[in-house]
Parts: sequence; C-alpha cells; structure tokens
Amino acid sequence: MQESFFQFLGENIQIFLSYTGFANVTAGHLVMLLIGLIFIFLAIRYEFEPMLLIPIGFGMLIGNIPFKDAGLQLGIYEEGSVLSILYSGVKQGWYPPLIFLGIGAMTDFSALISNPKLMLVGAAAQFGIFGAYIIALLIGFDPSQAGAIGIIGGADGPTAIFLSSKLAPNLMGAIAVSAYSYMALVPIIQPPFMRLLTTKKERVIRMKPPRAVSQTEKIIFPIVGMLLTTFLVPSGLPLLGMLFFGNLIKESGVTRRLAETARGPLIDIVTILLGITVGASTQATEFLTWSSVKIFGLGALSFVIATCAGILFVKFFNLFLKDGNKINPLIGNSGVSAVPDAARISQHVGLEYDPSNYLLMHAMGPNVAGVIGSAVAAGILLGFLG
Amino acid sequence: MINKKTGFLLLLMSLFTLGVQAQKTSTVKLNEVLVINEDNFVDDYGKRQPWIELYNNSPGTVDLRGCFLTNDKNNPKMYMIPKGDVLTKIPPRQHALFWADGEPQRGTFHLNFELIPDQDNYIGLYDSDGATLIDEILIPAGQTPDVSYGLNMDGTGDWVVLDRVTPNTNNVTLDTNEKIENFQRNDEAGVGMTITAMCVVFLGLLCLFLIFKGIGKAAVSASKRRAQRSATKAGEVVAANAGEESGEIFAAIATALYEMSDDNHDIESTVLTIRKVQRSYSPWSSKIYTLRQAPQKK
Repeated sequence: MQESFFQFLGENIQIFLSYTGFANVTAGHLVMLLIGLIFIFLAIRYEFEPMLLIPIGFGMLIGNIPFKDAGLQLGIYEEGSVLSILYSGVKQGWYPPLIFLGIGAMTDFSALISNPKLMLVGAAAQFGIFGAYIIALLIGFDPSQAGAIGIIGGADGPTAIFLSSKLAPNLMGAIAVSAYSYMALVPIIQPPFMRLLTTKKERVIRMKPPRAVSQTEKIIFPIVGMLLTTFLVPSGLPLLGMLFFGNLIKESGVTRRLAETARGPLIDIVTILLGITVGASTQATEFLTWSSVKIFGLGALSFVIATCAGILFVKFFNLFLKDGNKINPLIGNSGVSAVPDAARISQHVGLEYDPSNYLLMHAMGPNVAGVIGSAVAAGILLGFLG
Repeated sequence: MINKKTGFLLLLMSLFTLGVQAQKTSTVKLNEVLVINEDNFVDDYGKRQPWIELYNNSPGTVDLRGCFLTNDKNNPKMYMIPKGDVLTKIPPRQHALFWADGEPQRGTFHLNFELIPDQDNYIGLYDSDGATLIDEILIPAGQTPDVSYGLNMDGTGDWVVLDRVTPNTNNVTLDTNEKIENFQRNDEAGVGMTITAMCVVFLGLLCLFLIFKGIGKAAVSASKRRAQRSATKAGEVVAANAGEESGEIFAAIATALYEMSDDNHDIESTVLTIRKVQRSYSPWSSKIYTLRQAPQKK
C-alpha cells in the first residue's frame, strides 16, 4: 500500500517535471530569452525607445517560456488563450490604426504647414521602402513578402505591423521587431551617413524661421490631408483616416477631452497590448529562421537607404532654391518617420557644427510628412499586392 | 423636449442607417441555378431537387431574413425567407442554397415553389418590403440535366451554362494570385513598382504642398489685412511684413522683457515654505496593526 503510494507520488513528480520549462527548454528559447533581456537592457540603460522595447522585450520573455503543449491554452498561437485573444488586435490590424489616432492627436503639423515644401523631403525618404523591396525580391522573397519587409524602411512600427499582417502574416513578428529595433537605433544608424553625404558648408545652412500658423490652417490640414491622400490611395484609409482624425480632434479646440484620451490613455493601452503581443509572437520556433535573419539585414539597409535618399533629395532640391530659402540637408534624415527621434538627430548633428543653429522645428516638418508618406506607401503596397 | 438641431441630427442618422441596411441586402446576387437535378447534390432529406444559389457579393455579413424569393413576377412575396434562423446570415463572399422543391415545411431553405424543366423559369429575389427587386433571372427552357446555369464570375459577370456544378461554393475557383504572378512575371526586379509607388507618394505630398502653399499665402495676406485694419483704427503704421513675424521674435521680446523685470528687483523671488505632508490612512501602513503589541505585564 505504502509502496504504491510512493510510486504514485514519484510518477506525479516526474509528470510535473516534464511540464516545467526546464524540461522543455531548447537552445532557441534561450536565444530568444537573451534577445528579450537585451531589449530590456537597452531600453532601461540607454533609454532606446523604452515605451516599445520594454513591452516587446518582456513579451519576448513571455512568449519564449518553454512549456509542453497540454491544451491548456497558454501560448500566443493557441486559439482561445488570453495572449491569442490580445494578439488578434495585431493579426486583424486593429491596433495600428488606434495608435495612429493617438499619433494624430499628439502631432503638431505647424512646422509642415508653415513650410509645406518639406513634405517632399518626407516623400523622398520613402525610397528606403522601395529600395528594400527591390533587394528583398533579388534575394528570393515573393512580392508580397518583399512589400511587407520593405515597409520597415518607413521607420513606422504601426505601419509595418499593419502591412505585414495583411501581406505576410508569417513574417510579422520578425518585421515588427526589426522595425522597432532599428527605430530605437536611429541615433546610431543615421549620423554617419548624414556626415558622409553633406559638406561642412551645407551643415551650417540656416533656415528661415517658420511663420506662425493660424488655427484655421491647422484645422484645414487634417481635413484636406485626409481627403486628398485617401482619394489617391484608398487602401491607406485605416491609417491615414485615423491619423488625420486624431489631428482634427486636437486642432479643432472643441474636443479637448477626446484628444487627451486619444493621445494619453488610449495610445498607452494600445502600445502596451501591441508591444507585449508582438514580443510574445516571437516564439523561437516561429522566429528563429533564416528569413528572420534576412529581414533584419534588409531592415538595416532600408533605414540607410531612406536616410541617404532624404539627404540627397534635399541637396538636389537646394539646386532650385534661392539663397535665403535653402534647406539644411541635415534635416533630410528625418523624412523617415521615427517621430521625433529622427528630428532630434538632425538637431544634435546640426548643433555639432553650429551651436546656435536649431534645426528641430524644421526637421519636424519632414518627420511628420514621413508618417503620412509611409502610410501612403503602405496603402500603395497593399493595393498592388494585397 | 427635443430641439430642432437634435431632431435634425436624429433624422439624418436614421436615414443613414436605412441606407446602410438597404445597401447590404442589395449586394446579394442570384449566382447559380440547377433546374434538373438527376444525379447531383442531395438535400438534407436525401432527395435530389432543383436548387437556387445566392451569393453575398460584399465584404460584410448579410441577413436574408424577411427577403422574398419567387418564381412569379406578379407575386414577389411568394416565399418569405423565415425570420429567427441564424443560418439566413450569409458571411462575406459566401453562399446560401435554397431547394426549389415545393416543400417549405422541410425548413428555411426549402421553397414553396418548384422549377419546371420544360419551360422558362423566372427567379426573383426581393427585399423585405416585398417590392424592391434585388436581383432576377430568367432561366431559359431546355436545361441539361445535372448542368447548372450561373454567373461566370461569382456575384458578377454573365449568366452562362457552367462547366461544372458548384453548389454552395464558388463558380470560379481562383487557384492563383493573378496580381502577384503578374508582378513576378513583368516586374521581376521591382523597378516598376518602385517608380509607380514613388510617383504616387510624391504626387500625394506634392498636391498637399501646393494646396498648403496656397492656403499659407492666403493666410498671410489675410493676417496682413487684419493687422492693417487694426492699425488704421489705432492710427498706427503697419509694418510691411506683418504676419510674417516668427515665434522666435516673440520669444526674444518676451525673454528680454522678462530679463529686464527680473533684474529690477532687490528681493529674490524664491519662496521658502513649509508644507504639511499628508499621508492617507491605511491599515497596511498603520503602525498599530503592523507592530507587535508589547506583552502585557501583570
């Protein structure tokens, strides 16, 4: 009797042990856990996009806890699990438009409205998307996958998630992590190319101070912007519609509460859900593939192309501008979205060469134009390849 | 009491809702019909009967309840699709199959009329008002047994004799992604896509640039006019570049004023204060609860 009881106890412990993470851990899990920890470290130690890297990093830890599949609905890829339900906001593309709503409600387009030619700099930086698209095709991705990978060059996390969830859902985890990682690394990636492609004389160009923009102009901008861009690219409607709607509730002046909710609690909630689920979706079995490595390489390349395209376009544009109206090419890098980090880099690099030349406000123009440009580009890719 | 504005808004919203409802059922199409069923699809009673397939040609679910199917143009309300059956909801781009067996007691999807093999068969689908025609078709007489008559593209296209009978499924099976294959065939390197897409991105932002350049000019001249008007009233001369002052100028003026007023004082503006720190009471932080009571000495 006693012997059989101990045998039962022993078997039970053995079964329990077979369900623990220690028994099921693989090298892949450990690699992903390490990457998650690095993300958290970078976010806390160097403050690289902490709002995103901490949820994504911790999500990676959650998603890579090894367990035996016992139908307990635990993993993000198990239908009915809590994580899977939260992840459906990513898969179905609900979160990115909500984030765009918040971005719209917190973005001041004044810099762009006062100097609208900066919109073209935002457009030029989208070459990063299509440069990466071409290279992705060359290395063997099919057009839908190449489109989803290319959008990393837009430097806009929500747009990347939105488009990849439609065009290449199986690559979404790698694309999202790659996009957010490089956005966090913008301060490291961009400055060398900014210095390489500009002369000393160009770096100290002083731009005309932006004029004061009236309330009416600020109200007209989201309405005209939405109508024009979505008539041109209807497939960009979810992102552009929400972006401009968010901006209208901010600028109208009569919906302060809505604007505060959109740029405060709402965007915070969605960022938490998006970050943690995107992180958790990087399960080693799904994530550690040769494709992911290629995507990371292409992501870096697309950021470089976007940065160079923005700077070179400004230099080209300057050929047609009068002396007092010239644009400092150091703001060309901010055509990639990555708001406001890219603009901050323009400011920092600009200050290195002229401590009294403040480029931040000027750089915010192409920076927010980049958000519009990348959403339009995503709409085009979705329209052609979706 | 509802005021005029609210009433107007409510009216507008209800009209809009009606419009949306109407638009939804209108997307349903008659898609495929089999008049002579000898050796084909069997119903849930194990019988081979003529059938009519409807197709929801929209990206949203459509509920057919209350709509009418008929084989008589003069009697649009021949068969009302029953209410209260969840199966009358057709998911996006999906089908619903009705058996034209004259046996409505067999269930929602069994019609109270039949299709006659040796004559033209009219089939009409009417909205729930019994008057609005959603779709209709005249199936010509002389149909071949076990060969269906349907649209050559689901929900669109022309009525033809179909190559294969496809009850409850698509008339045309798309086994390739034409768009992608087209890109793979004609734009292997992606240059075409790049040129097209960048042109569209530039076009969009160029239009925005031109519009806001115009709006900006109008705003500047409007502000000049306003400034001129107010200056005239005050009898002052307006600077030629009114409206073009940047925020930096105002900031510089404000800073100068602040610094001047800041220098002209002999008492520091620092305020020393003692503020009472308030801590709200909670049993979790209470010393009474968290400290062990001293042993009672008798």
